[in-house]
Amino acid sequence: MRRRSLLTGAAATAAAASCAAVLSGCGSSAASGVPTLDFLSLAWQEESVKANKALVAQWNSAHPDVRVRYVQGSWDDVHDQLLTSFEGGAAPDIIHDEGNDLTDFGSGGYLADLTHLLPAAARGRIPSATWDMARFDGGLYGVPFLQEPRMLIANRTLLDQAGIGLPDAAKPWTWDEFEDIARELSRPGGSGERYGVAWPMSSPVSVTLNLSLTTGGRILYRKDDGGTEVRLDQADSAFAELVRRQVGTDSSAPASALGMGGGDTLPGFFAGRYAMLPLNLSYRQQIQQQAPAHFDWVTLPLPVGAGAPDGGRAQGVSPQTLSVSKGCGHKAEAAAFIDFMTQTGPLVELARGDWMAPTATEALRDPSLTTDKLGWSTGMSVAAHLVASPALGRRGYPEWSDKVATPALQRFFSGGIGLDSLRKKLVRDGNRVFDRYRT
Amino acid sequence: MSATAATRPRPGAGTPPPRTAAARRRMLGLDRDAWFLLLPALIPVLVLSVGPLLYGISLAFTDAQSGVTRSTSFTGVRNFADLRLDSLFWDSFRIGLVWAVCVTALQLLLALGLALLLNQNLRFRWLARTLALVPWAMPEVVVGIMWRLVYNPDAGILNNTLRHLHLTSGHTDWLSSLSLALPAVIVVGVWFGMPQTTVVLLAGLQNVPLELHEAAAIDGAGAWRRFTTVTWPTLKPVVLSITALNFIWNFNSFGLVYVLTSGGPGGKTRLPSLFAYEEAFRYGQFGYAAAMGLVMVAVVAVLLTVFLRNRLKEADQ
Amino acid sequence: MSAAVPASEQAAPRPVPLPQPAPPRRKLGRRAGRTGQYAALLCYLVFLAFPLLWLVSTAFKSPRELGSVDPTWLPRHPTLGNFRTALDEQPLLHAALNSLLVAGAAALVSVAVAVPAAYAMVRFKGAVSRAGTGWVLVSQMFPLVLVIIPLFMVLKNLHLIDSRPGLVVVYVVWTLPFVLWMLQSYVRAVPVSLEEAAAIDGCGRLRTLRSVVLPLLAPGLVATLMFAFVTAWNEFFFALVLLKTPEKQTMSVILTHFTGAEGAADLGPLAAASLLATIPSLVFFALLQKRLVGGMLSGAVKG
Repeated sequence: MRRRSLLTGAAATAAAASCAAVLSGCGSSAASGVPTLDFLSLAWQEESVKANKALVAQWNSAHPDVRVRYVQGSWDDVHDQLLTSFEGGAAPDIIHDEGNDLTDFGSGGYLADLTHLLPAAARGRIPSATWDMARFDGGLYGVPFLQEPRMLIANRTLLDQAGIGLPDAAKPWTWDEFEDIARELSRPGGSGERYGVAWPMSSPVSVTLNLSLTTGGRILYRKDDGGTEVRLDQADSAFAELVRRQVGTDSSAPASALGMGGGDTLPGFFAGRYAMLPLNLSYRQQIQQQAPAHFDWVTLPLPVGAGAPDGGRAQGVSPQTLSVSKGCGHKAEAAAFIDFMTQTGPLVELARGDWMAPTATEALRDPSLTTDKLGWSTGMSVAAHLVASPALGRRGYPEWSDKVATPALQRFFSGGIGLDSLRKKLVRDGNRVFDRYRT
Repeated sequence: MSATAATRPRPGAGTPPPRTAAARRRMLGLDRDAWFLLLPALIPVLVLSVGPLLYGISLAFTDAQSGVTRSTSFTGVRNFADLRLDSLFWDSFRIGLVWAVCVTALQLLLALGLALLLNQNLRFRWLARTLALVPWAMPEVVVGIMWRLVYNPDAGILNNTLRHLHLTSGHTDWLSSLSLALPAVIVVGVWFGMPQTTVVLLAGLQNVPLELHEAAAIDGAGAWRRFTTVTWPTLKPVVLSITALNFIWNFNSFGLVYVLTSGGPGGKTRLPSLFAYEEAFRYGQFGYAAAMGLVMVAVVAVLLTVFLRNRLKEADQ
Repeated sequence: MSAAVPASEQAAPRPVPLPQPAPPRRKLGRRAGRTGQYAALLCYLVFLAFPLLWLVSTAFKSPRELGSVDPTWLPRHPTLGNFRTALDEQPLLHAALNSLLVAGAAALVSVAVAVPAAYAMVRFKGAVSRAGTGWVLVSQMFPLVLVIIPLFMVLKNLHLIDSRPGLVVVYVVWTLPFVLWMLQSYVRAVPVSLEEAAAIDGCGRLRTLRSVVLPLLAPGLVATLMFAFVTAWNEFFFALVLLKTPEKQTMSVILTHFTGAEGAADLGPLAAASLLATIPSLVFFALLQKRLVGGMLSGAVKG
């Protein structure tokens, strides 16, 4: 009884009160004799929805004994939707989500441990470092299948005019070089005002954590007992300090962009107000669709921190994942569907549909993803260096992010507080939050 | 009918009707029928609202967390003790009060003016009445995205208009500036809630006895005087009701603000309802979130009791 | 009658009856007042309706134009592409039909159930009325998000998950507090003397309710119906967690399928779909707004 959550207890009383019949298990229904598995997909761009639906249709025609039903979800509300249906015991069977969500759902016992459900071939396709992004508390709660690094999207015309040579994936700029170039490209004041770079920081914490890896930091550290420790030493804060310098001292990045999402910065980029944008790889789709005719843009590798591990190329990432819910009545079939979706052919389709990088080694080398067109090849070579975001597997991260880190970083970037104050907030207040989750 | 403008009882004006309540009830035969009238509403409410509500309240006294692997135990008032020391929650509580009071007051004032205008015999009144309801017709998901576009520092229509009028040089970051964010979301809140208030007031205005207005006009009473002596007394109960409800809703609503700012910048638009929502849905702390909910109910209840004391007294008679 | 009155009128002492008609100066003032009223109304409408106009404008713009830093009200190259994409990609018409059925049923049931209850709560003062009022307030005050999970469980046990009637029931219960609360105000405004007169004439309670009270409530009923309908039409979260079958999903849920993470959205198709989602409510408003102004009370009183 103690192991049951109180909510399940309530369900029992509600059942008694309403004279209801037996619980109906998970979403799988066997009305027609053929089990139907609900696949909650979060694809939202036109091409990617099409790719997903086509793959589901392909599966259904090849597997008449297990039907998969495509159910459309949305990134904005998937966490609430899943939490409600997990607690209520009526969750979808196959779930598309992302690494950060798995931390809570996996340790909360809502997701099936895939360790022994996936065939060996499926496990061999993806590098073991990537598997670690979905493994917590001894269980494997999802298959990381798509991921995207942050790139530097640049206005080639402006860079050419300033006589700036373009870096390639083999030799990216260092952050110091980038800072100088951004300053050089800036033109303050007036109607032709221009900034070297714009930092869209609508989610400042994940960007800061993931990019602090490029300077050898990580801010969130795993303690020996499995708990989390927050630190903000020189390597941890180097990236945050750079942004603040660009906004506050150099005026090479506008303060007004700090509250924007990536897409909000595009009109300014097309108008030449910003020369460079650090954006996720998939934004290329929106840029290609919206850029004015003759607008010359190029995808560059993100700058690297000198002297950091892996040459400063290692960015953190929270991958997109496919999971099976614990309440699903046909776990083996669900795992087989995931295996199908992550085979090289389907995975390449999905990556192209979302303009992202696949996690599997062979898919990453697929010729259609390594063309020089639209920055694909640069993207794939940067993606090869991705590592797990420091936030993954840290219980309490959402609370630390909302309550402590987001407000503190927002104030730090806009010059409201200094580095010491930032450190005090992140570390002292932060460790207090994480301690709440230790047991 | 014998009732004339002069002798007709003014409904809701606080003047007691001629007979005692008991006599009236006896005459209308309501005692035995009341339950019959209430029953259709009562049954679904008991099953789907009271039950879950009581259950939600009971969580406040436990350490319930999300997850089937985590056990729950009774913790008494521990959550409330923790909450008392949670300075972030009280900061957010203050923001919530500012937000709810500003939005409710502005909504009422603007809606009252609009309802009075729409009650006039103006040309194209039907069109105006329809257009005035636009915010209500738009789904919340869309409203948030539209206003984000309006407030966009670079390509937003607001900054663009200001630039064209040479009022500012323009790239004000309305939603991410520490000082402007709260006023900016308050404007959206007022915009979004106005139609509902307007409709309610407009319907209330239909009960204002026309002949009293005419009589007052013949007596030479000015517009303002007619408003205070004729319109207001009839409208007052409706105004009190909708204001009370608006306050509760505004205090409890966070969807719009969440889409606009996610509670930022620097926590400046973190409403307490958003706080409780995140506590429950993002951090899975059901017990602590329920305690927050209960504290919010208590504070709002006290405020409303003060605000509505006359109406409650009337219900007690 | 409007707020725009000259200050001298406001401060006027209690006037002695003046000879009629009014002197010409007053007439002039009235005309100025009229102009002021139109101007004020225009300001209101600009404030309230411009996001809709912007939505219309966005719906007809190509992606390229949407990326412009200097957007125009009139699309430079109007296109129907967004509507085509939106209708192609998502079952919008089907979803609109679902929304219409669910919201319509919810509004009718909610008001039908609430009228007798509100009447009883106003006329039958005492414990029931007080408990009812208390529940209405508390249910609105307690943050909804904390009730959702237990509610979900009750519904699941009643086999009302993934069913449109189940959603209707939830919307009825969910809109009931407001519907009851507002109807009470309107019932309170119905003079008891009229009902007493009917009772003396030998009308039963139900008949009194139907033939005396109900007609007087009409404007209030329309307002409440509108509220219940629009609330249900726009409701999102219950529809999201309760309906799983794609064919049953309602409009507001479908709209989120055009949005991605971190505020990204497929703006053009989203605007087109939103426009389609907004129009039914607006048409509904345009048709019903006349019913709001029956002037029925005075008519009834005059007999």
